[in-house]
Amino acid sequence: MKQAKRITTVQVAAIMTSTIIGVGVLPIPLFAVRGAGSGAPLVTLLGAAVAFVGLFLITRLGMRFPDQSIVQYGEVVIGKWLSWIGSIGVIGFFAILTSLTAREFGEVVITSVLTETPLEVTVIVMLMLAAISTRNDITTFAYIHLFYFPLLLGPALLIVALSLKNADLINLQPIWGNSHEGMLASVLTIASLFQGSFIVTTVIPAMREPRKAMIASVVGLVIAGGMYVMIVAATLGVFGSEETKNLLWPTLELAKATSLPANVLERLDAAFLAVWVTAVFTTLFSSYYLAVKELSKLFRLQDHKLFSFFLLPAVFSMAMVPYNILHMYEIIQNVGRIGLFVTIAYPGLLLVVAILRKKRGEPSEKRSAG
Amino acid sequence: MAVKGIMFLFGRRKRRRSSGDNGEYPRIPAERLNDAAVDGDLERVVRQIRGVLGENDDFTIRRFLVFGRYPAAMFFYPNMIDMTTLNSEILKPLMYGPPHAERLPENGEELWDFLLESTLYHSDVRSETLVAKVVSDLLRGQTAVIIEGVAQALLLGTRAIEKRSIDQPATEQVIRGPREGFIELLSTNISLIRYRLQTPDLRVKTMEVGRRSQSKVAICYMHGITNPELVKEITRRLDLIDVDAILDSGYLEQFIEDNQMSPFPQVQYTERPDKVVANLLEGRVALIVDGSPLALVVPTVFSQFYQTVEDYTERFLMMSAIRWARLIALVFSLVFPSLYVAIISFNPELIPTEFAVAVAGGRAGVPFPAIVEVLVIEISMEVLREATIRLPQQVGGALSIVGVLVVGQAAVAAGFASPITVVIIALTTIGSFATPAYNAALALRLLRFPLIVLAGIFGLYGVMIGLILIANHLLSLKSFGVPYLSPLVPGSPQGMKDLFLRGPFWWMSTRPDFLHPSDKTRISDRTVEELKKPPNNVLEPADIENTRKR
Repeated sequence: MKQAKRITTVQVAAIMTSTIIGVGVLPIPLFAVRGAGSGAPLVTLLGAAVAFVGLFLITRLGMRFPDQSIVQYGEVVIGKWLSWIGSIGVIGFFAILTSLTAREFGEVVITSVLTETPLEVTVIVMLMLAAISTRNDITTFAYIHLFYFPLLLGPALLIVALSLKNADLINLQPIWGNSHEGMLASVLTIASLFQGSFIVTTVIPAMREPRKAMIASVVGLVIAGGMYVMIVAATLGVFGSEETKNLLWPTLELAKATSLPANVLERLDAAFLAVWVTAVFTTLFSSYYLAVKELSKLFRLQDHKLFSFFLLPAVFSMAMVPYNILHMYEIIQNVGRIGLFVTIAYPGLLLVVAILRKKRGEPSEKRSAG
Repeated sequence: MAVKGIMFLFGRRKRRRSSGDNGEYPRIPAERLNDAAVDGDLERVVRQIRGVLGENDDFTIRRFLVFGRYPAAMFFYPNMIDMTTLNSEILKPLMYGPPHAERLPENGEELWDFLLESTLYHSDVRSETLVAKVVSDLLRGQTAVIIEGVAQALLLGTRAIEKRSIDQPATEQVIRGPREGFIELLSTNISLIRYRLQTPDLRVKTMEVGRRSQSKVAICYMHGITNPELVKEITRRLDLIDVDAILDSGYLEQFIEDNQMSPFPQVQYTERPDKVVANLLEGRVALIVDGSPLALVVPTVFSQFYQTVEDYTERFLMMSAIRWARLIALVFSLVFPSLYVAIISFNPELIPTEFAVAVAGGRAGVPFPAIVEVLVIEISMEVLREATIRLPQQVGGALSIVGVLVVGQAAVAAGFASPITVVIIALTTIGSFATPAYNAALALRLLRFPLIVLAGIFGLYGVMIGLILIANHLLSLKSFGVPYLSPLVPGSPQGMKDLFLRGPFWWMSTRPDFLHPSDKTRISDRTVEELKKPPNNVLEPADIENTRKR
């Protein structure tokens, strides 16, 4: 299966960042504060570090097999049947991740802006948007991520900058945090917010220079992680750890608490949420694209368009499983931790076996150099 | 049977292709004439031509004797040719013979050379043996002369089609820049381009498209700049067109664009020769159709639709600012009404309280929800706009005043619309007029309506969904392989100098790289270096005084 090698390193970094930054930004200060109180930024940093392990493994694998994605080299490394189980796991996990992201954002929308609209409508609209967009090829996929990249950073940085007015440094101290009981759980939950970085496995086969995949991954993760740490720190600085524990979406509250100078817009939360649709869209788009694309590779199909609407009913019904917001967050945390197994342990296993069995893809260095 | 049928099909296709190789298409007269040739039998040829064209009353056959000796016939469409030239430069010498000739030729072959060498006072003379070709040239406005005993037809370029004079382009006016616009005639249009680009590298290839209209299409490009693959692909796409008529370049556009379903134009049209030349120099290809005053330029990217020629003739700082104004107008025309609907119906808390109170006060007497109000006014605005285009010019101005001022004011007074709505719609409409390209403005104008509906249903969330759909569509579009949003996506730092800003010339010393031109340099390094040096102050008063004293 030959793919056109068109995606540049910068585009991959943009894909990584915009995939990681998603609806998770809204509850992340809560997750972090639960673990270690005022040590929340540190917890976020640790979460990013854990996520980096997974990203490192999957990128290493991708560079080892520069023309294939995890579904394809899985077969080479551990054999057809075992890899089938792994691939189904990966695809299923990302389908679930898609549905949960859509559900989470749907909840945010009906809670804060469209209170009268049924949840099903907001979720299906978001999923339809992603499904329509997955019908594009991987080049357009990269273009879309690159295009929305500034829209992701801009509003978040603006909120952070504006909230500095209300922030108090004392809220961030002690940096080590007050208690460390739930810290591990928190770190894992936050690491699970970075799972979108798995998309790199689908992207590497289409990269112009797969050798540079590692740099792109690291840059993407650093930008996204830096964003998360900043947002957590800003929220904590404004609200303090105890207050943050009582907020469901602290980042949204942060947006509510800030206003533009000169009173141009009275409140920022609705505008912030509107722009934030793009961030959620890119995340949703990536996980959906990964599921669809890898599924088509599993069945050895040339064209993945068939699955974009085929998966939609399944994803939608999964999104409707949680009873309410609390149940949903419980599921999200559980699925996220199980997901760490899929996104860290499985690639780790593949990499170890690949090294032991000395399997590697045909070197593409020669081609890209020549 | 079946085999025979297939054979028949194949045979037909083969013939088509072989005729396509010569740049010719199956013609109606040609099919009737088969391969009949001019062979010196005057009466037979006259019969044949008359058989094809004789039923037209505007077709003329003039019989005469060359030098009073050889019977001959002249064929032409009197309305398509210049009669004076025909009479004095062709018919007269043919009948009289040259006064300096010592003896007149005896036989056919001798006569042919004699005619060409010393009789005709006309430069555009060709010979032709196939009757079918003669007929097609006659239809083009040539004059044919066939002489008894000469196995060739004389074809004389006497075409003179009435044309309007070259005047200011109506749709693309500039304050600073050339005032010439294309007209309908292809030859004039090509001359307008050629006198601006006096280089042998300007290549003009013509082909005929349209089974019945036989419209001439000129493909213009710069040899050595334009990527040769691009020219090849355009020729291929034009070759594939088999339609009965191409009446305007707009027809052609729809046959060569990449995505027919998209609301966005993927081919730029212009009636300014200087714009075509600038595009040729960037490495694009221009297509000009005979009979259309609008040239097509491909490949096209979105940024071209808000750039104008004037951006480059005025100082870069000012024009960058104006370009921003145009961009804002573009965004206005797309999202302004939907944002208004979303904020009024769902998030009035976003706007400052005083203003929200004023808006609510204005809307107090309006019975409809904001979406209905905006849609009604928007649609009536579209109707008004359409009406002003169709009306004769003298009435148009009056109607627009009545429509905009009177109806708008009355609607507000009657409590049908709020004043803010009228302001919003007016701004939107003005915004769509500020976009230089009519076809791009049209696309945005159309897309405004689904956005308003989405805003009415989902508020800001809906507007964003709509915008994401539009953006994703734009990102997936390509014009001849060039991504539609380049140079923004995929990012090209060099191209971005001419995207939101119009960089100074020394900054844009290379051609846009997304068109992959063969020759990249536009401004030589030496010039750029010179521009960066401190200026040479020849008339510095102090220096001049010093030299004078000495």
